[in-house]
Amino acid sequence: MSNTRKKRWRWPISPETVRSVLSSHSVLGLAFAAIIYLVCLTGTIAVFAPDLQRIEVPGTPVAMHLSEAAAARALTEAVRQTPSDSSIYLTMPSPAKEGATLVAFKPGFERNWAVAEDGTLSPLDAIWTEFLIYLHICLHLPRSWGGFIVGLTGVALLSSLVSGILAHPRVVRDAFHLRLGGSRRLQEADLHNRLGVWALPFHFTLALTGALLGLSTIIVAGLSLLLYRGDMTRVYALFLDPPPAIDARTVPMPDLAALIAQARARMAEAAIDSVMVERPGRADMRISVHGRRSRHLVVQDEVQFDAQGAAIHEEHPKDMVVGTRVLSGIGQLHFGWFGGPVVRVAYGLLGLALCVVTSSGVTIWLARRRDRGRPAPQWERIWSAVCWGQPVVLMLTAILAFVYPEVPLAPAWLILTTIAIVLCAVMNRCSGEYLARLWRRGLVVASALAAVLYLGRALY
Amino acid sequence: MLVASLFLLAAGVLGAGLLRTSWRRREGAAPALLAGGWGVLIGAILLAGWVVGPVKGTALALAMEGIGAFGIVWHGRVRKVARERDGKGEGGDAPEPLDEPGRVWRGVLRTLLAGPLGMTAAMALAFCVTVYMPGDARTRIVTGGMLLPVLWGLAMTWTLADRRLLRATAVLVGTSVLGFGLAFLGGILSGAST
Repeated sequence: MSNTRKKRWRWPISPETVRSVLSSHSVLGLAFAAIIYLVCLTGTIAVFAPDLQRIEVPGTPVAMHLSEAAAARALTEAVRQTPSDSSIYLTMPSPAKEGATLVAFKPGFERNWAVAEDGTLSPLDAIWTEFLIYLHICLHLPRSWGGFIVGLTGVALLSSLVSGILAHPRVVRDAFHLRLGGSRRLQEADLHNRLGVWALPFHFTLALTGALLGLSTIIVAGLSLLLYRGDMTRVYALFLDPPPAIDARTVPMPDLAALIAQARARMAEAAIDSVMVERPGRADMRISVHGRRSRHLVVQDEVQFDAQGAAIHEEHPKDMVVGTRVLSGIGQLHFGWFGGPVVRVAYGLLGLALCVVTSSGVTIWLARRRDRGRPAPQWERIWSAVCWGQPVVLMLTAILAFVYPEVPLAPAWLILTTIAIVLCAVMNRCSGEYLARLWRRGLVVASALAAVLYLGRALY
Repeated sequence: MLVASLFLLAAGVLGAGLLRTSWRRREGAAPALLAGGWGVLIGAILLAGWVVGPVKGTALALAMEGIGAFGIVWHGRVRKVARERDGKGEGGDAPEPLDEPGRVWRGVLRTLLAGPLGMTAAMALAFCVTVYMPGDARTRIVTGGMLLPVLWGLAMTWTLADRRLLRATAVLVGTSVLGFGLAFLGGILSGAST
């Protein structure tokens, strides 16, 4: 029985505009689908970077507590092992992040360690985790270009979220519909819309912070052109402490344990979060101790000491402007590294949801074409190589990193991805669905193999 | 954090559960259930902001409640028998995208509008905010920076949806010229203070 009464249109924009917006949603989503999917997939895995590092490097100590003496021992040992002009950054264990880590860096040099509870250092060179993080933040392209492309992807995702909502007049009517197993298009549309709508605040936060992180270079460049005749350092200087005046004379290291204890006393409401030693062993050395309060997302307490151990600068939440707080919190919000394993799992699940939203968007388009008698079998096969092929390729790089740690992973990933896409594109006799099934089986096998290799080594 | 996360997950389940109960009623939505559902969801966000921390708590609440709510959606899923093509009957009155004949020049122009020109216009507006907004320079820069992706995203949505390409071009070019002009002027006048 058909209902002849016309339903009242209650959406704020006209049906014609909804169709235009839906068309723009479609165009934008398809244009950026592969890269949005890749960035979301790598980002979802990167949320677990601290855990992956430990799996990748067996025997990594996980300090639950680090005394001042142990922290000082770790810093002194790192100073001994690194070039004199490196900066040393020690992150203390906290409820948000189990284990203490230490990184020494200067332009063109970086070394990472895990710190045991007694302050001894263990190398923490997790090559696959590092490969994954760089794939997420700059696609292994030159940092500014790669960052810009990832930032642009964030903007495209933001735009897709806005157009997706505007083009969804049945948002209330279908709010809880999840019809599986019937028509492919309806099933994918339900998944796409329900996951997109119910996790919208998360998706929006992720897209905005990701876009901002990626576009930061271009924003700074534009502002410096406008305000400081192109001098980007003046924009950065607003957010960074000015470097101390150069004095390269060699001096003994001060009593770091005593300085950390002194800083702890000066920021009674905060727990020590990190210690940074710049220009260690030089007369222009600066030691910064940062503290984090339990209710705050980012560190807002800081005490700085000079080479003699005299306190030269102190900062507390009341001294920090909103802009600096927001800027510091962007990375924390984006990666979900602010609340420990529970938040990481939640971010992982929601990141996976965003991958499904992206993937189902393409599947809907492909199914719509098929329904209208204009199937695109080659695109169906190519999408299977992206959607299911990428997890397999990432797993293969993890296996490669285990078997041949010296193999450069970025070129290996590019080669495997290209082979997967080209092969699927030319396999005319296979359907996209069949190839997707093959990829899923491949994913199970590759995941199992990677798990056996890494967990086996860790347990053995 | 574990206790807060579980509480917020439960709040997401409860809030979405109440909303679903109202949504399922054939005789129309029940205002009490609607108010209860939204009350639980919003109340839990406020409570998390108060107890865990304003930003940390809100972020945690939005993530956990989203998962809890999707749990309700998943719980209420229905299994249908697969058919060759049944997209028309169920949910078949969902809007379809406009089918426009593809013209290369329109595609190129739209790409330019949504990409470089949209970015320029968004940048012009964001930098105007940075230059003219009162307050500390760092806060103004971060505010402008956060506005840039939002405005660019909106420009993308609009230019890709608007079929009058000349209008979109004129608006974006005008915004860019005017915005950068004003921002540059303001930058010269107040550059030293920033």
